[in-house]
Amino acid sequence: MFWFWIKTWILVLAVSSVSYAEDLLPDERRAKKQDALYGQALFSLHSGEYDKALSLNSAIRKRGNRGYGKVLDIQAATAQLGLGMSRSATKQFQSLISDKRISFLPAKARAQAWFYLAKHFYTKGMWVTALKGIRKVDAVSLNPDLKDEYHFLAATLELFKGNSKNADTHIVSINKDSKWAAYAFLNLAVNYTEKDIHISKVEAVFNQALLLSKNTKTPEALADKIHLMAGQFFFATGRGRSAISHLKSVGLDSAYTPKALLTYGWALTEQWQYHDALQPWYMLKTAHSQLNQDVQETLIAIPHLLEKLNAKVMALGAFDYATEQYDEVYKKLGQSAARLNTGKFIEPLLSQQIPDKWGAFTPIDLSLPDHPDKVYLKDVMSRGQFQGELKSLRDLHVMRYKLNEAIDHLDAFKLTAETRKKEYQDVKSERLVITHSQHLAKLKKRYKALNARIKKAFKNPAGHGLASDTEKDQMALFVDVTKSIKSLSASRNIKSEHYEKRLRRVGGVLKWNLSERYSDRKKQVSKSLALLQREIKRTTDQLDAAKFAYQVAPKTYKGFDKRIAKLKTKYQKELKKLELVYHKQRERVGGIVKADIKTRQERVMDYQLQARLAAARLFDETSNKVRSVATGEVRQ
Amino acid sequence: MKAIYSFASLLLLSFTTLMSSSLYAANQAGLDAEIEELKSEVVELNRELFDLEEKLLYPATTSFAVFVSMDEVEDFIVRSVKLNLDQQDVTSHLYSKEQVDALRRGGIQKIFSSNLKPGVHKLTAEILGVDRDGRAMKRVVVADFGKARSSKYLEVKIRNNPNQSKPDFAIVEWK
Repeated sequence: MFWFWIKTWILVLAVSSVSYAEDLLPDERRAKKQDALYGQALFSLHSGEYDKALSLNSAIRKRGNRGYGKVLDIQAATAQLGLGMSRSATKQFQSLISDKRISFLPAKARAQAWFYLAKHFYTKGMWVTALKGIRKVDAVSLNPDLKDEYHFLAATLELFKGNSKNADTHIVSINKDSKWAAYAFLNLAVNYTEKDIHISKVEAVFNQALLLSKNTKTPEALADKIHLMAGQFFFATGRGRSAISHLKSVGLDSAYTPKALLTYGWALTEQWQYHDALQPWYMLKTAHSQLNQDVQETLIAIPHLLEKLNAKVMALGAFDYATEQYDEVYKKLGQSAARLNTGKFIEPLLSQQIPDKWGAFTPIDLSLPDHPDKVYLKDVMSRGQFQGELKSLRDLHVMRYKLNEAIDHLDAFKLTAETRKKEYQDVKSERLVITHSQHLAKLKKRYKALNARIKKAFKNPAGHGLASDTEKDQMALFVDVTKSIKSLSASRNIKSEHYEKRLRRVGGVLKWNLSERYSDRKKQVSKSLALLQREIKRTTDQLDAAKFAYQVAPKTYKGFDKRIAKLKTKYQKELKKLELVYHKQRERVGGIVKADIKTRQERVMDYQLQARLAAARLFDETSNKVRSVATGEVRQ
Repeated sequence: MKAIYSFASLLLLSFTTLMSSSLYAANQAGLDAEIEELKSEVVELNRELFDLEEKLLYPATTSFAVFVSMDEVEDFIVRSVKLNLDQQDVTSHLYSKEQVDALRRGGIQKIFSSNLKPGVHKLTAEILGVDRDGRAMKRVVVADFGKARSSKYLEVKIRNNPNQSKPDFAIVEWK
């Protein structure tokens, strides 16, 4: 049992290392400064949008490689790894690195390709293949940022193969300030626990891992993990006191608390500290759900301990309580299995996932608030079970969302193309260009005529050009009257000064009026001209826009309707295909969960049987005691 | 005879178990392969959609896009970029740690794409970030540019300034 847990821990550690794997590629900056497609592909890849990166990568290839060489292949393989397309990625990586020519692939890129391939096999649990890959990594050419991780991987894999010397060489090479040093020492300690190595040496390695855990991203969590592993090891090897000291150090709000409390209780029991052992178990029982398997073990462990303390009536009560609890747990597990069939377990979990986030490096959100299966789910997932299967199901769920979204987009595109077609036809039917041209010609003609008239009207600054017909008549009359006065004065010798004076006065008034009007009218005419000019400008713009729309409109919709329809058919076909695969994968995940629930139910049944038998035995013992006491009294 | 019979039935049973377990494993592997194939088909379809979108929504005559790029600038971490085109806020983006890293490693982000009519326009980019000491920094860069009847691409560049400890910010027109 103990070694099972040790192996599980190694697996958990292996999985946890993936979540820290952010660096995925050799640093190949953009060769061409203004290549938008390549730059975007690089941005998507490094920011974890692997599907977009792959699409852009494919678009670059379609456009033409333009001297990017094998970098595009490495990027494609990396994005495929990120999306969980391990087969294609492996194929891609292997074809890349099997060629020994340096010109084919630079040493730096080759080293990193081997590294990632090894890491991929490592995370997949194919450790023998991973070891072969990691041995081919040229450490000198490897990116310095990846060297510690490389040594950690190599050390872990060498330890797995039993090559302690090689592993030691790698562990020594890890920088002590790196987070990988703590993980490497922890793996070394685990390896030591499997071998016949002196206990003091094992403890020293555990302590070293503890010391280095401060360099990791989550030092408290790792320290708790190390303490629990060390505590379990010392408990299994009969070093109760050492076990107790480690188990006591595990935090009370950590993910490892239930297991630590359970083992702590057992370690104290082994030290005959029965009273003290009750405390962690009660704590575990009250603070955690009964669906937790450690709590289930505690339920039966407590009455056994009470029995050892000779509190037999209390033990009997505790056994009865445990039996009831096991009934309850059994029922709850049955309900979970039923929910699995009715789509109320996995489906709510999937529906709360972020639609854009998928792939091998994106963890599943397991929070499932206000759901009866949240404890069970967390318990299952914390043990690393069916993570890969559930991730694949989540990916299919996200892909379904994406396909539906794409179909919606295509509908919108269709609408856009139709709108543009209509716009174009409207442009054509309205004869906008001709109408605007005619309107513009009219305006220009009007402007020209108006300009000529204005020129004529404002030719004389005295304002004669602006006189009304009456005023013109009056002015003509002035001329006639002046002439008449002159002829009269010549023929009849009349003094005309008085008449001329009066005539000048009247004429002056008229000229004054005309000159006043000149400036006012000039202002008005300028305004009107400006208005007309604006109108001409607006019509010219409209004409330009109409011409542009006429030129552009056909290009923006022609040919797209067929393309959209074709792509939509493809998407619909893909969606149908996906539904089939989704149901198969759903069955697979459901099958795993059902089998797990069944195993848990069997375990609960086993505990319940033990509790019932123990209760019966205890009841029998306590009743016999009463009977013997009664017999004694009779005898007396 | 009885022993032979029981041995034969045991052999048959173990063979059947072996066959069924290998069949199960093959089925599982087949399903994994199907999922992978689906993923690659979806990626290919997405490429086609991307291509269609670019051509339909942003025709070459009116297409306009703004990109953001950053050199390996050590003393500046970009937090957000806000764009204002012709006195109107058009987009803004908050950067995650991974995206900042992606920019530093040569990635280009297409922050805004649209259609723009020919004429003179004005783009303002407001860049927010923190310097090496964690102090907030805000820079505004402005560019007046002309758009003809062809696509126009601008790049908001954050680059190293060897003479100063602060980076340079600029809007560059793509030729």
